[in-house]
Amino acid sequence: MSPSFVAARPAEVLEADRGPRWAADAHDARLASATLRLSGLHCAGCAASVEAALRSDAAVRDVSVSHASQSARVRFDSQRTNLNALLQVVRSAGYGAALDEADAARELRRSESRLALWRAFVAAFCGMQVMMLALPGYVAEAGDIAPDLTRLLDWGAWLLTVPVLLFSAAPFFSGAWRSLQVRRIGMDVPVALGISVAFIASSGAALNPAGPFGHEVYFDSLTMFISFLLIGRWIEMRMRHWAAEALEAATGVMPQTALRLGADGLSEAVPIDQLRVSDILRIAVGEAFPADGVVIEGRSHVDESLLSGESKPVPKLPGMSVIGGSINLGAPVMMRVERCGADTRYEAIVGLMRDAATQRPASARWADRWAGPFLWTVLLLAGLGALVWSFIDPQRAVWVAVSVLVVTCPCALSLATPSALLAAAQALARRGVLLRRIDALEPLAAMQRLFLDKTGTLTTQRPRLARIERLPVCADLTEPELLRLAASLGAWSHHPLSMALCEAAPPDRRAQAWRDVREQAGAGVEAIDVLGQRWRLGNARWVLGAAGVVALLRVGDSADVDSANVDSANVDSANVDSANVDSANVDSADVDSADVDSADVFSGESPRASAAQGVRVSLGREGAVLAHFIFDETLADGVAQALAALRADGIALTLLSGDAPARVQRLARRLEIDATQAIGGATPERKLLEIEAAQARGESVGMIGDGVNDAPVLARADVSLAMGEGALLARASADAVIVSNRLADVVQARAMAKRTLRVIAQNIAWAATYNAVCVPLALFGLLPPWAAGLGMAASSLLVVGNSLRLQHALPSPRTSGTSA
Amino acid sequence: MDILYLLIPLSVFAMFGVLGIFAWALHAGQFDDLEREGARALFDPEQGSIGTSTEKLPPCH
Amino acid sequence: MPLNPTPASTFHDNTVRLFAYAAVLWGIVGMLVGVLIAAQLTWPELNFGIPWLSYGRLRPLHTNAVIFAFGGCTLFATSFHVVQRTCQVPLFAPKLAEFVFWGWQAVIVAAAISLPLGYTQGKEYAELEWPIDILIAVVWVCYAIVFFGTIGVRKVRHIYVANWFFGAFILTVALLHIVNSAAIPAGWMKSYSAYAGVQDAMVQWWYGHNAVGFFLTAGFLGMMYYYIPKQAQRPIYSYRLSIVHFWALIFTYMWAGPHHLHYTALPDWAQSIGMLFSLVLLAPSWGGMINGMMTLSGAWHKLRDDPILKFLIVSLSFYGMSTFEGPMMSIKTVNALSHYTDWTIGHVHSGALGWVGLISMGCLYHLIPRMVGRTQMHSVRAIELHFWVATLGIVLYIAAMWIAGVMQGLMWRAVNADGTLVYSFVESVKATWPFYFIRFVGGVLYLGGMAIMAWNVVMTARSGRVAPIPVPVMPSAARA
Repeated sequence: MSPSFVAARPAEVLEADRGPRWAADAHDARLASATLRLSGLHCAGCAASVEAALRSDAAVRDVSVSHASQSARVRFDSQRTNLNALLQVVRSAGYGAALDEADAARELRRSESRLALWRAFVAAFCGMQVMMLALPGYVAEAGDIAPDLTRLLDWGAWLLTVPVLLFSAAPFFSGAWRSLQVRRIGMDVPVALGISVAFIASSGAALNPAGPFGHEVYFDSLTMFISFLLIGRWIEMRMRHWAAEALEAATGVMPQTALRLGADGLSEAVPIDQLRVSDILRIAVGEAFPADGVVIEGRSHVDESLLSGESKPVPKLPGMSVIGGSINLGAPVMMRVERCGADTRYEAIVGLMRDAATQRPASARWADRWAGPFLWTVLLLAGLGALVWSFIDPQRAVWVAVSVLVVTCPCALSLATPSALLAAAQALARRGVLLRRIDALEPLAAMQRLFLDKTGTLTTQRPRLARIERLPVCADLTEPELLRLAASLGAWSHHPLSMALCEAAPPDRRAQAWRDVREQAGAGVEAIDVLGQRWRLGNARWVLGAAGVVALLRVGDSADVDSANVDSANVDSANVDSANVDSANVDSADVDSADVDSADVFSGESPRASAAQGVRVSLGREGAVLAHFIFDETLADGVAQALAALRADGIALTLLSGDAPARVQRLARRLEIDATQAIGGATPERKLLEIEAAQARGESVGMIGDGVNDAPVLARADVSLAMGEGALLARASADAVIVSNRLADVVQARAMAKRTLRVIAQNIAWAATYNAVCVPLALFGLLPPWAAGLGMAASSLLVVGNSLRLQHALPSPRTSGTSA
Repeated sequence: MDILYLLIPLSVFAMFGVLGIFAWALHAGQFDDLEREGARALFDPEQGSIGTSTEKLPPCH
Repeated sequence: MPLNPTPASTFHDNTVRLFAYAAVLWGIVGMLVGVLIAAQLTWPELNFGIPWLSYGRLRPLHTNAVIFAFGGCTLFATSFHVVQRTCQVPLFAPKLAEFVFWGWQAVIVAAAISLPLGYTQGKEYAELEWPIDILIAVVWVCYAIVFFGTIGVRKVRHIYVANWFFGAFILTVALLHIVNSAAIPAGWMKSYSAYAGVQDAMVQWWYGHNAVGFFLTAGFLGMMYYYIPKQAQRPIYSYRLSIVHFWALIFTYMWAGPHHLHYTALPDWAQSIGMLFSLVLLAPSWGGMINGMMTLSGAWHKLRDDPILKFLIVSLSFYGMSTFEGPMMSIKTVNALSHYTDWTIGHVHSGALGWVGLISMGCLYHLIPRMVGRTQMHSVRAIELHFWVATLGIVLYIAAMWIAGVMQGLMWRAVNADGTLVYSFVESVKATWPFYFIRFVGGVLYLGGMAIMAWNVVMTARSGRVAPIPVPVMPSAARA
């Protein structure tokens, strides 16, 4: 017979947690099943290639590759091969593969989705047939159809309604029963009640047309509105599943193992939870980067859409950073790990997405509170209506009650807010803005004044090489050669300045051979070249050979420099505040007061800067400085346009930075921010004061910062946002995180927030109006049950549909016009 | 229209049959991965000629 | 795994080939009879006073021959071909398949003999007398066994959408045939219908319309869903839509029959329902048409050079036209004008010549070379010529019938102020005459195209070589 693929039922479980399930087959081989997650499948032909590759392994009994879900189900003889070997087979074919741990959850979702679809189909299909049988009744004049023929049509309709009632409508009954058991009125209660009453009354009418239930049957309305309701629920379920799948796609993409290069140059596969910072890894094509880091060799392009919303592959050259979870598309690369495990941006995003998916925003809680009393009112009205009508026209009493029960749509009220918020959150997430608190959308829309941090928000976190000062003592090397040397040495450090050097250097395929590479925190990088000469890159004094004790301030310390720890020769970079530098120990020619913003993550070179000059890094050989590299801070792309857009939106802007006031003023002039609104040299306390002052004036205040050093300040603002780079994303306390690092996305987020609030208002207005109009209509007997059913289903579908519009409300990054 | 006594039960019976067939199809996974199955019809290697066109599908890298 | 193909692992294409040739043969025969009766309507002297050449007896011969002989053989050939290829397995019970072929030819020959001799049950598209009806039922059951058996032993888990259409067509036609042909025999070639009067009419048009809907539509849609992608070398535009299309069609078939019985003794409410559901049928039909046509989206240039694609795609446009025209004509007010006129004939033939005819020709042109070890017909230019001749014939035919039909309807209902009819019936006949002539010319062209096809088929068969085609073996196929 046909070899239809059947998942092996586990006869035993080999190893409870890790091994694949297996079952003995007819030939006593142990057949195991597993589901593999694949990556790099771009077309159905790729799926066929993977299938062929797996089939070529003799131990594989059956393979089924799904291009749509990017997965493969494999049945194999577990005594002749194992999972790792199978993963290797797929990887050798040029695709990524990992064991699919989310399989169970996905199976559950799939069977849930199937069952819901099946219920909806049965209801719709039988509903259509019932409608066909009911139509003669509507179309014929009275007396045209013989009574026994009418009975035949009615009973045919009854027969077709039974499966709809017992099978398709079962969830309503079980939901109603469950809520009654906890003595609450859930939304399923009026629905279940309405269905039951309608069915019983119609059956009664079919059985005895001259009896108390009248002669009109409403099987068609019944089945129709059950199908509408089920279709509406199926759509909602798809939305929920979408969110879960997006989450899983994020979690599923991470590989289980990574190839680490050891000191001897050989590579070994290690589980990713054993990775450490500074590990060198080799990433193949089609694989996901297992950690955040920087490319040190190879040129490739990378799919970062999962994390940044940027759908075009992003080119990556040596020195550029890569995000864990993004997928390597172009060529194999070597990377150095900078952040791994829980510190990665990826983990942070996943955590945020999980949080967002489970939150109950305030407005939804409000709606929930009202649903109960609302439903009680409806039940009372239905009962009352039946009672009154039993005196006026007993035959209609039942139908009036049914209409009232069926027409009300409390679901619209309950759905109005959550569906909109969820759709908005999903749309924003796709665009690279993650909401930690869904509730943040409201204050975001109401924001009147925005406080902006400087470094990392308005300027790039990475400085730009402005010029090279070659010293006269360096006669044998040209500037490009100096840059190349500096960049290749800098590649071994993850300091922003070294990375800036790498970016500035032309890509050079000749690997510069260094040995004994060492990085000294607070000073720089040194190594020995092939000739045995010692090179140093970093702080000029250190390069000259003078070792200094440097107080290394961990980022996150908002504290001042402890003057006792500052060496006379060196001033450490982080968080130097003009009020706290021991003036006697500062090289007055070089250090400007508080010229470093709190966000600078400098563990190394001191920024020797003046108000006019940028930051400086020196390169030296055997104690002689050969060149200085001067860096400049640059405005992040699209900042000017983004600020203009914010201003046009009516938002007042204030620059609030700990950086030197002169520099802040310069920047403010460039960005057309009023001088009074550019505050430099601000301590965290000062920032807090500014925000409180603005709030005291009655303004609704937002703040964008790096989310780390401004934590108390951010918490104070009505809505806070953080730009998305940096290891400390996970510890950021902002309401929303702009993972894409584009300031323009703030504008988009605000537009989305306003839109969402509009949609929520529309939904609630609709729900209220609908109920206010239709319930009286039903009470007065003007709404036949079929119309009631149609109205109810259409109403909730309308609300969901209106919310779904938000999913497509944002233009893609490329078309927004302010993208990088 | 006595003939309806034949035609209507016949249709109801047929409807249940159709429902049963749909149920079987759904649970036998006939509606999974439709795109690939739709393209598969092109790929049978008859007389040495394999359906080669993947114009409609995105190009492989 | 060893790959030696055993004798059982070649496709069973013998029956496919025979049915394909038979289709061409019966196409010529059926269309020839059609041309003859068209001529007889134009020049009644062509009846020659001979009973078995009379119009009344030849008309059902024409309809049965083109629908069941030409259309039927095409369906058998293509369904057997498609089910084997999409299931990657040879036909189940090949001997039974051969019986289906010879049995069906017996039915056709029996029809060709009995109908001119005057044996008829008098029900449209179901004229054949009860012994032949029984033979049809037997052959049909065997057909179902072969087809569903092949699906049962398939090596590919997914059942390609074309097979769903074929399967639905087979099952529905069985049901329709058995119910409608129920009769009480009163002699070897004489019987009385189990139903009477308007009840019989209802059953008859429940059968009649669904025969059109499933025999002439669902079955050929199955062909369309396989041969268009194959010929265009592109997958169906939206496979998902094709599945939806199928189930939507199944939903709505039941009540459309009464639109044949507007303004008859059928109760008003039944007529109204017929009208309503005929209109509803428009949606799934057009879904299928769009799906088929858009398969060529992005590759329309292929139409320029490939005449077979011309046949296939143009047939879809006629399908769209007919499935629009039909619902329009089922509206009571429109029907009041069109009923009993030649507009109905025009509608039938736009569907029959335009949709059924052209898609059959296109599919046969694709299929027949492959049955004799070739990839192309003997002459592609001849295919091109056939296409243009046939299309011209169709256009002349249906234009003539539209004009004639509307004119007849208007003439018949024209009343004087005092309520008397303006025109006598014979006046309308006279006025129709030129259009009968044009229709005859259109039919001759269509038949001529078919003759070109027959020549092409003969030349292809002679220069080709019948060789068994191996069933591809899938590497490491898992046996259940």
